Formats: sequence, C-alpha cells, structure tokens
Amino acid sequence: MIADILTGALRSGTSVMLASQGELISERAGVINLGTEGSMLGGALGGFAVTVWTGNPWLGTLAGGLCGLLMSLIHAFLVITCGANQLATGLTLMFFGMGVTAFFGRGFVSEQIVGFNPVPIPLLADIPLLGQVLFNHDPLTYLSILLVPLLWLLLFRTRLGVIVRAAGEREEVLLAAGINPQLVRYAAVLAGGFLAGVGGVQLAVAFTHSWVENMVQGRGVVAVALVIFASWKPLRAMLGAYLFGAAQALQLTVQQSGLPISPFFLFMLPYLLTLAALYLVELRQRSRMPEALGRVFTGTSGG
Amino acid sequence: MKATAALATALPEGQAPRSPRWRPALRQTLIILAPFALFAIFLLANGVNPLLLYRAMFVSTFGDLYGFGEVLIKATPFVLTGLAAALPARAGMINVGGEGQLAIGALVSTGFAVFLLGGLPSWLGIPLMLLAGAVGGALWAGVVALLKVKGNLNETITSLLLNYVAAFTVGLFVHGLLKDPESFNWPFSPEINWTLRLPIIDGTRLHVGFVIAIVLALAVWYVLGRTRLGFRIRVLGGNRLAAERAGMNVSRMQLWVLIAAGALAGIAGMIEIAGIEGRLRPSTGVNYGYLGFLAAWMAWNKPLRLLLTAFVLGMISVAGNSLEIGSGLPSSSVHILMALVLFFLLGSGAGRKVKT
Amino acid sequence: MKKRMLYQSMLLLIATILLLSACSQPGAEPSGNAQAEGDNGGATSADDTNAGGDGDAETAEAPGTGGSAVGFIFVGARDDYGYNQAAYLGSEAVEEAFPDLKVLRSENVPETAEAERVMEQMIRDGARIIFPTSYGHLDPALNVAKRHPDVVFYHQGGLKTADNLGTYFGTIWEPVYLAGIAAAEMSESGKLGYIVSVPIPQVLLNVNAFELGAQSVNPDATTSVVFTGSWCDPGQQANAANSLIDSGVDVLSQHQDCTKTVIETAERRGAMSVGYHADASSLAPEGWITGSVWNWPDLYVDMVQTAIDGEFADSEYDGKYRGMLADDVVQLTGYGANVPEDVQALVEEKKAALLEGTLQPFLGPVRDQSGEVRIAEGETPTLDELEAADFLVEGVIGSIPK
Repeated sequence: MIADILTGALRSGTSVMLASQGELISERAGVINLGTEGSMLGGALGGFAVTVWTGNPWLGTLAGGLCGLLMSLIHAFLVITCGANQLATGLTLMFFGMGVTAFFGRGFVSEQIVGFNPVPIPLLADIPLLGQVLFNHDPLTYLSILLVPLLWLLLFRTRLGVIVRAAGEREEVLLAAGINPQLVRYAAVLAGGFLAGVGGVQLAVAFTHSWVENMVQGRGVVAVALVIFASWKPLRAMLGAYLFGAAQALQLTVQQSGLPISPFFLFMLPYLLTLAALYLVELRQRSRMPEALGRVFTGTSGG
Repeated sequence: MKATAALATALPEGQAPRSPRWRPALRQTLIILAPFALFAIFLLANGVNPLLLYRAMFVSTFGDLYGFGEVLIKATPFVLTGLAAALPARAGMINVGGEGQLAIGALVSTGFAVFLLGGLPSWLGIPLMLLAGAVGGALWAGVVALLKVKGNLNETITSLLLNYVAAFTVGLFVHGLLKDPESFNWPFSPEINWTLRLPIIDGTRLHVGFVIAIVLALAVWYVLGRTRLGFRIRVLGGNRLAAERAGMNVSRMQLWVLIAAGALAGIAGMIEIAGIEGRLRPSTGVNYGYLGFLAAWMAWNKPLRLLLTAFVLGMISVAGNSLEIGSGLPSSSVHILMALVLFFLLGSGAGRKVKT
Repeated sequence: MKKRMLYQSMLLLIATILLLSACSQPGAEPSGNAQAEGDNGGATSADDTNAGGDGDAETAEAPGTGGSAVGFIFVGARDDYGYNQAAYLGSEAVEEAFPDLKVLRSENVPETAEAERVMEQMIRDGARIIFPTSYGHLDPALNVAKRHPDVVFYHQGGLKTADNLGTYFGTIWEPVYLAGIAAAEMSESGKLGYIVSVPIPQVLLNVNAFELGAQSVNPDATTSVVFTGSWCDPGQQANAANSLIDSGVDVLSQHQDCTKTVIETAERRGAMSVGYHADASSLAPEGWITGSVWNWPDLYVDMVQTAIDGEFADSEYDGKYRGMLADDVVQLTGYGANVPEDVQALVEEKKAALLEGTLQPFLGPVRDQSGEVRIAEGETPTLDELEAADFLVEGVIGSIPK
C-alpha cells in the first residue's frame, strides 16, 4: 500500500513538479508568474496536438514546451517591458490560457494518441518496493527527476546561475558587469514557461493521454505555491510536488478503505497538507525571498 | 463610458483631434478599442461578422432595462470581491482569496438563514444574514491573516490554496449538514425564506445588492482617503519600515485589514444567496473572486474606479452570453476577449502605480 | 515610447493568435461547422433581439408554439465522449428534423442563476422550446418558466415540474445492472471499480444497480467506489484508475462526464472497461466488455414536435417522462471482442427478462452497507424512490457523506 502511494506520488506529482521547477527559475530572476496555469494548459494542448499529428510524443514535448514558452512570453513582455503588475498579469494569463486552449482544443477532445508509456528500467525495476516506485515510469518522469539536480548545479554552481540569481537580487551587479538584467529576466521567464509547458505535456501525453478543456485544474497554481514552500530551492520543490502527489494518492487509498470519512474532506487533504508543510518549513527557518520578488509582494515594484 | 464607445466602435481614429492635450485621451481610447479590434480579427478568422456581433452584444446589455439590470447584477459581486483585493493592496498585501472568502460567506449566511433567521421579519433578518456572511468571510480571511502574522506565511499563496479548501468545504456542507431534506438528495441547501430575499426591482432580476456594493465602495473610499485610519493604512502600504518607525503596530493592522477584506467578500457571498440564488449550490459564485481581483487591479486599487471596472467586466460577461448563443462560438471565447482587454489595460500602465 | 509599446504589444498578440490558429488547422472540422452557423448567428440574433424589444408579443396560444428557435443548454463541452456529447447528438437530430427552427446552443453553463440569464437570452432570441440538460439547471429553469408561460421547458432528469415544464430522463440503471452482470462474469478477482464524481442520487443509483447485477451472478463480488469531486478532471481520473487497479480491481466502470481517460488507462494497464454515456468500444479493443448509453435523438425530435403542435399539455411529456430500456431511450452497447458467447448469452437472457418485467433489479430485500434492510422483502421501489437514492448497497466499498 505504501508502495502504491509513493508510486502515485510520482505519477500525479510530476506535472506539478516540472511546472514548479520552471516557476522557480523565473522567481529566482525576480518574476512571479501566476500564469503558470496558462502555460501548462498551452503545453498540454500543444503537446497533445502535435502528438496527434506526428505520432511522435517527443515532437509533442518540444511543441508543448514552446506553447508554454509563448504563453509566458506574453507575461514577460507585459511585466518586464511594460512594467505591468506581475500578479494581475499572471492571473489574466491564466484566464487567457483557459480561453485560448479551450477554443483551439475543441477538435482534439476525442482524439486518441499513443503517447508516452511506462518504460521499466531493466534490473532496477525488479528491486522490491523501490523498483515499482522509482523505475517503472514514462520517459518524461525520468527526465524530470534528472532535471532537478541539473537545475541545482546550474543555479548554484555556474556563472549562468549567478547571473540569473543576480537578476532577482541585485541587478546593479549585472549592470556593472555590462549585462542587461531585463534580458536575463526574459530568459528566465521563458525558460519557466517552457518547463511549465512540458509539465502540461506530461499531464496530457504521458499521464492521461487525453486533452479536455481546462484539464490542468489548478495544478499550475499549486506549482507556484510550492516554490515558496521550497524557499526557492529545486530539491525542496521536487519534494513538495511529490508530497502533493502522495496526498492525492493517499486520499484515493483512504476512500477505498471504506472508512467513514466524507470524500470532500479527503479532497481538501492535499491543500491542507501543503499549507501545513509551508507552515512548518517557515517555522524552522525564515525563508529569504529574492529581493525583487519581495518588492512585488509589498507592491513597491512593478516589473 | 469609454468601453461604451468602444462597443459601439463609434470613434474612428482619424477624427480624433490632433491637439497634444488630447493625446492621453486618444491613447486611452486606443487601449480600450485595440482588444476589440484584435478580437474582431479573431472573429473574422472564425467566420463571424464582428460588427453584427458587437452590435448584438451592445443591444443585449444597453438595449433595455432588463439587460442593463443583468450587467449590474453581474458587476455587484465583482465590486465587493474587488474591494476585498483593493483594501489589502493599499496596505501592501495581496489577497487572492476573495474566491474562498465569498464561498464561505455564502455558506455561513445560508446556514444562518436556514437554521435561525427564517422566522424573522425582513428588516431584522436581512441585516443579520448580511452580518453572518461578513463574519464567514472574515473568519476565512482570518486564517490567512493569522498565518501571515504568526507564521510569516505569504498571504498570496495561503489565500490561493485556501480557495480550493473553501470550495470543498461548501461541497462538504451541501452534501451533508446543509442538504435540503426535500431535494431528493441533490446537493444544495434548502431555499431560504422569502422574507430574507433582497427586494427586486420590477421588470428585471436586479436586487438591491448593488446598492449595498456601491455604499460599501464609498465607505472604503472614505475610510482610505478621509480618515486617520486610512492614512495609516496607506503609510503601511507605502513603506512598512516608515510605518514601524512611526510606532504603528504593523501586525495588528495587517490582521484587521485582511479580516475586513474577508468580510467584504463574505458580503458578496451573502448577496449572491439572498439576491439571486435563494439557496447555496456547490458552484455558487465560482470565479467571482478572481474576476474581482482583476477588476481591482484594473482600477489601480481605487474604490471609486473599481465601480467602473467591475461594471466593464460585468458587461463583458453578460455580453458573452449573446456572443455564444448568437455566433455559435464556444463559451471560452469570452475569456479570450476579457483577457485581451485586461492585457492592454495592464500593459498600458493601469495597475502599475500600486499606491498613490 | 508608449505608442511603440502599444504597437508592439498589438503585433505580439496578433502573432500569437495567428500562430495558434495555424496550430488548429487539422482540428478545424468542428469549428468549420461553427462557421456556417456563426454567419447566420450574428445576423439573426441581432434582428431577433430588436424584435423582442419592440413588443412582447405574448399570444394566448399553446406554450411552445410560434417560436423561431429551440434552445439547448449544456453543463459541459460537447466533445467529451459522455453526458454532454449524448445530449448534443440529440440537439443535432432536432436541427436536422426541423430545418425551419434555429438551434441555439450554450455550453459550459454553470448550474447557478447564470443559467437563468442564458435561458432568458435564448427566449429573447426567439426560442419557445428550451432543453436545460443538467440536473442543476432545474431551479433556474423553473424560475424562467414562471416568467414565460408561453415557453415549453424540457428538463433532463428533474424531479419537479410546472405547467410549462416537463422533465424527461432514462432509466439508465437498467443497462447498468446488465453491465454489472457482464462485469462480474468477466472479472477474475471479483473486485470491480467505479469512478464517480460526487455523491448525487443518479450516481448512487447506478453504483447500486451495478453491484446488484454483479452480486446476482457472483455473491462475493465487490464494487469499490472512488469519488473524484469533479465531473471531468482527466488527471484525477487517471489517478483513481491507477489506484484502483493497483489494489487488485480488474474491471473499471465510471460515472463521469468525460469517459475517455479512464477507459484508455484501464486498457493500457490490462484491465477491462464498462462504458457509460457513449459507446467507447473503439478506445479499448482488448478490454471493452459493454456499456450503457443514452439514445436521445428520437425522443428529442418527438418532444419538439409535440410542443410545436401545441399539444404539450396533456402529452406524456408534460410531467415526469422516464424512457426505459423497452422504449429504446437507454441502451446496452455491443460486447467487446473478448467477451465469450456464454457471457453474452447470459446477459441477453437477463435483458429479455428485464424487458418482460419478470426481472426487477431492485426487488427487496436490498441491504445498505451497514446491513440494514432498505427495500423490504418482496417490495419493488417506484421510479421516484429510486431516483432519490441516498445509500450504497451491501458489497459496495466506499463511503458517502451523511
């Protein structure tokens, strides 16, 4: 049963995890994007559509990422170039994503795809417990696990990472080094949109093999919350996403146990657990928000 | 008013006066017209004549008292959830929880109406029900406020997450304790007594809830702009350090501002029940919190401007029905038009000046 | 500077939209239809709105007559292999059968007072017959019906009626019972799974019928029911399907508005499927057992004809009309390739008994999960009693809020 819950954590947590890694990059550079939901929807539709046309889920992944990127381009332009309010723009982008994808996605609701399927890794998949939990997933899930340490290395051990973080902390350093902080932010937001798009692809092309209107159902919003839970650290964001996935799997298991608990209470569980985890993390150690983000939240900065 | 002109597409660009003094006005007009022009291209690409459609949309909202009433009905909750976002924003906080606060306000006010207030005369029952809604919303916002003040948790994220919890809480009650015994087990509350329904204006579905919303918007405007308390709130929003140096108890102010915001959103929930629905359903007021948030930012978080922006959003929502029924376009197209309007407003600088 | 920004942002948005429209080409067929409707749509609706404003020409004629349109409101989107798809097919049949009537449709209409607005708009656009197709549209429809005595409302699934509002539905639990028999025959573990949305009577009734059918051939068969809280969330559906299969369930059925994800997930994991709402056998060539579906087209056409002829009052549709398996309003689909002859024969035999009336699925004693007798020995509940189900029968695993 525990193995089932942990497996379920990866299954349903991966799309959220990818989106939260993307959002993390963007927020490290000082831009919060509530439109992640829209980017995920764009990615889900784009990925699904291209998989339908080409039969190749990898092309679908690329296309889905690009659709997510295009969505976030709107955010980047309005926020960085025009100086619009980040939270309001992000929320608008969420509605825009719902509308656009619902409109263009109508023809795809009844389409069937082959998509990504679980590929057990030889030998490793035979390990009891661990094999089922970790080594029997679709390729995107494996890639997403590899992505996390890479992202950590990139952000904290390379010059590029320093530049991204400087954009969110002290842009005067960048200016002194002759680097345009706005350009860095653009890159970070677009990278974030790409990853959110791939998260959408994972949901549509690997996990459910389906497209329906508004299928992301708030997972993008949760991804944004997880980044704060994670104090802007990739490994923690991964843990948070899997915690959210595990809570989903747990509530389904509890339902099947026949215990007399209202399903509506169980539906709240993932959100309540995330809140509780946020609270505990914050209690143990005050997280330090990138400075530019802090200005967004206190309303002293537009872009 | 500008949106009116935009809908009628009455102002050809070429005729605008060239005088530099008119530049800002021209720009404003362009910003309002541009999304409609873009959307027209989109409509043409889908084989719908945009002029006929815009005309139909215009007629269905301004053609008669009924349509106009529909817009006011729709705008009423946006004003209140907009205030729930605007007030904390002026104190330097982001409340995206209007959605959940509205839901809990609706839940608590329905609960009181069904179990306690049914036998009371209107003059007593309606205010008490309003109070119950306000308390419900305030409690829900109180959770956010406590987490912020005691746990240092960011209010944006907690209020967002609690929206989902609120929706499931409403589900829990309408499937359980609050389920109408005569509903044949369908998930909705019993109908509230007619004495608790808000009075309705003849020939429309318009109830006096919009008057309540306007009065509250005026009240928030007055408090923010004309009182010492409002001054302190604005100082806090402008510079937290300055507020602390001036000896303000920042935590306590944040707490009460968020609670007041929750109460406003909770009243929106009560008005939906007492003015329109008559009973609580699982989907009462869905998305009104988010749309109110957007209305607030379109209005630069100013209460009086908010009346206008909420009206514009209400208009687009109502016109959206004729968009769908008349043209066969899917309902989602309304979101596209709404988002385009907002993108242009946001990009043009509305909402950039958070405080003034 | 500002102007340039504005210009740029316009270009950007145009580019985005063009790109996305380019993206949508191969899926263009449905929107192609929408185009054709759209052209008339803009024009007629504008004209009609004016006409409506000029004079509220309320005649003393029979309700439902003299309209220029028929309105359909749906709670979801049409292409969902499910509930709305079935109703949409019905609306298409009406469109075909009455070329003079314009069919007005509105999708994703929430089950709140918002639905009143949509219906009012349809009436202003010339509709004198309206089909609110979701249970939550009933109260709004009753309100609108009171204001417009000249309009006929056909509500899908409601238990309340009015002078000009009749409700219609199908006894879908009949084929669901038969599908339960087939599922229990096919299952090796005796553990069946049912993925549902929220605990409303229609849902509980189907789960009960399914389990009773299964028990009738395998007394030890159990049905695990899982609530998703949503009518169409593929992610949650896939979670639920995987979770059930992990726990040993080998036949999955569902009560969701969109049904594709669960069936495909079951197929990929080697489990079998029982369909609902629409025939989705093509999605599961290996695991499809059978399914229960609606057949609205003929009924809708007949209901519209009745109203146009001015014969709504005193027709069979002016109260609670319930089409049964015998009326062909609900159907059992064909069997999957892997369903053996003897299973098919058994189900067909039970179906014949059901049609004859010799088989009563809910004949007492029926016990609930706690073992309490809810339908007494030898009793057969009425349709109204069935449609107000508030319990799960013995053998169903899962809990509902009290």
